[in-house]
Amino acid sequence: MRGLLHEMGNIFPRWTNLLAIKVLVCVGALGTCVIAVAWYSWTPKYTRVGYMPQQPIPFDHSLHAGQLGMDCRYCHTHVENSAHSNLPAAQVCWNCHGPGKVKSDSPKLEPLRQAMDENYENYTGKPIEWVQLHKVPDYAHFDHSAHVNRGVSCVECHGRIDEMPVVYHAKSLSMSFCLECHRNPEQALRPLDQITNLGWKPEDLEPDAFYAYLAGKTGTGADDLKKADEGKVWGQELIGIHLQKAWGVHAPQDCAACHH
Amino acid sequence: MRWFFLILAIAVVATVYALGPRGAKFSSPPFMLFPDMDNQYKVKAQKPSDFFENGQGARVPVEGTEPLGFKFPVSGEGVGRTDLDFSRGSDYLNTGLFGDFYGKGFPGELTMDAAFLERGRERYRITCAPCHGDSGNGAGVVSKYWAIPPTANLIDARVRDMPEGQIFWTISHGKGLMGPYNGVTSVRDRWAITAYLRGLQAVAGN
Ligand code: HEC
Ligand code: HEC
Ligand code: HEC
Ligand code: HEC
Ligand code: HEC
Ligand code: HEC
Repeated sequence: MRGLLHEMGNIFPRWTNLLAIKVLVCVGALGTCVIAVAWYSWTPKYTRVGYMPQQPIPFDHSLHAGQLGMDCRYCHTHVENSAHSNLPAAQVCWNCHGPGKVKSDSPKLEPLRQAMDENYENYTGKPIEWVQLHKVPDYAHFDHSAHVNRGVSCVECHGRIDEMPVVYHAKSLSMSFCLECHRNPEQALRPLDQITNLGWKPEDLEPDAFYAYLAGKTGTGADDLKKADEGKVWGQELIGIHLQKAWGVHAPQDCAACHH
Repeated sequence: MRWFFLILAIAVVATVYALGPRGAKFSSPPFMLFPDMDNQYKVKAQKPSDFFENGQGARVPVEGTEPLGFKFPVSGEGVGRTDLDFSRGSDYLNTGLFGDFYGKGFPGELTMDAAFLERGRERYRITCAPCHGDSGNGAGVVSKYWAIPPTANLIDARVRDMPEGQIFWTISHGKGLMGPYNGVTSVRDRWAITAYLRGLQAVAGN
């Protein structure tokens, strides 16, 4: 009996003593790696940010909106009064790039001529088919006018478009991205006339003019408001809190606000 | 064990290398694992639709018809869109014309106040200033790239003497090398710009 047990003890060689632990360690390591890679790359921060599709015309925002200083609303005309921020009709480009104007025979503008120039041999009259980059899923609702008329600048959600030669997806636009701001909207609010000024800094704002504006909105005297703020740091937080109060900003966090 | 970790390390490095870092530029549409209800079969603004023959989602009303009892959508607090914003009619407000002649003065439907002028200033800065300049002197940024002729000076006597209706009509339909801006400015905004332009001319002492 003893001998038998002794023999059985030798069925498993020595190295098997640690086998279970080794397998556990390996599976653990593999799992950790898979989770780490998924954590890093299975999120809108990875799957969307940087999306930069090829457009039919290599339209350059850093030239038109940056260097030439054109306001976003020259082209995206309905961003203030509609949920949808429109892309410009070909006519808008044609007003500058039509015959006898700016670079009218540049080969880059071929699709524009096809859309607009009735005397052009390849004229089709069809709209230019820009590729859409930013998109919220169809089960979530987003409204540009609600944000733009409440002091949320384009730069918060689209990045420095005025410095991009080619537009790319700069922010994740995930649900947590939306909610991060909805929890603390004062970190983003700015005066309405600076919405399309993407390079705006809170320090640029003139305190006296700002308090005068607030006084007009709230009915409290400008001097009183100023006195109440003495000793506070002049910056985004202070400006944002004032604007939030003056406009009665309420950024919803209930599910039905965005999913209905 | 050693082999396992070696292979694992190689696999991780290869995957990370193949996937690339966050924020790297790429041009194929974003990857979606569960695109469950992301792309529903409905038409959204300015989007194509394979349902219609011409591939466009947006429909155009039948030629020569006007929708009966249709209200234009009004949204955007503070902007306060009203029916006055959309041109559909042949009266002075919508055309700047009395019969075949440019009209003088502003249409009675509009209230001239500080807010209206402020709106005009804002819209002028957005839509006209790139070509005509902030002060209206015709020397905007873009005019430098413009071959011939120099962009019109809006504060000189010629434009000052134009009736309001003609300026409105010019914004709506363009003139010579200037294209139409009726697609990008509403009726009310075009009158607001005209009013602001009168102010610029007054400031310039003409
Ligand atoms: C001269 C006209 C013009 C001006 C001015 C302009 N844009 Fe654009 N914008 C376009 C066109 C055309 C496209 C589509 C082509 C592209 O994506 O490059 C576009 C695309 C975009 C997109 C991406 C749209 C999508 O498909 O998701 C964003 C965001 C945008 N613009 C924001 C801005 C902002 C912010 C400004 C002001 C700083 C601005 N634009 C100024 C013409 C203009
Ligand atoms: C207000 C006038 C204006 C409008 C509107 C405008 N552009 Fe331009 N565009 C310019 C100017 C000025 C240049 C620079 C020309 C130069 O560098 O000589 C330019 C340059 C370009 C170029 C580079 C051409 C080349 O060969 O280098 C492209 C492409 C272009 N624009 C596309 C567009 C498109 C598409 C639109 C409509 C969404 C548009 N532009 C609207 C003024 C305008
Ligand atoms: C609070 C975030 C936010 C702000 C602020 C914002 N956008 Fe957007 N924008 C979005 C989202 C989200 C989308 C995708 C919308 C969709 O799927 O219909 C979008 C889409 C767009 C598009 C493409 C529309 C299309 O369907 O092709 C343009 C152009 C655009 N925005 C321009 C602007 C401009 C110009 C401003 C500033 C005046 C601005 N946006 C401010 C979030 C924002
Ligand atoms: C940088 C800040 C910011 C970001 C980012 C942001 N929001 Fe908002 N949102 C606001 C503020 C501020 C309001 C409140 C507006 C008001 O008080 O009328 C608001 C209001 C809303 C409303 C209510 C609109 C209404 O009609 O009352 C919806 C819906 C909404 N946001 C959706 C979104 C979605 C979807 C996203 C993400 C794509 C998003 N928001 C990202 C600041 C933001
Ligand atoms: C501020 C607007 C907003 C609010 C409030 C909001 N959501 Fe969302 N939600 C979004 C947006 C935008 C997306 C799409 C995110 C994306 O495409 O990455 C989304 C996506 C989702 C998804 C789908 C995730 C997926 O990938 O399939 C679920 C589920 C969801 N939300 C549930 C909720 C619930 C539950 C609440 C309430 C606690 C809520 N949401 C509140 C904006 C919102
Ligand atoms: C793309 C550049 C451009 C923009 C933007 C533009 N214009 Fe012009 N405008 C011109 C040019 C060029 C002329 C000279 C036309 C000619 O005589 O051939 C002109 C001429 C005019 C004239 C004189 C017409 C006449 O009968 O001599 C008026 C008035 C005018 N513009 C008003 C405006 C107003 C108001 C706006 C803003 C809504 C505007 N323009 C926007 C380029 C522009």
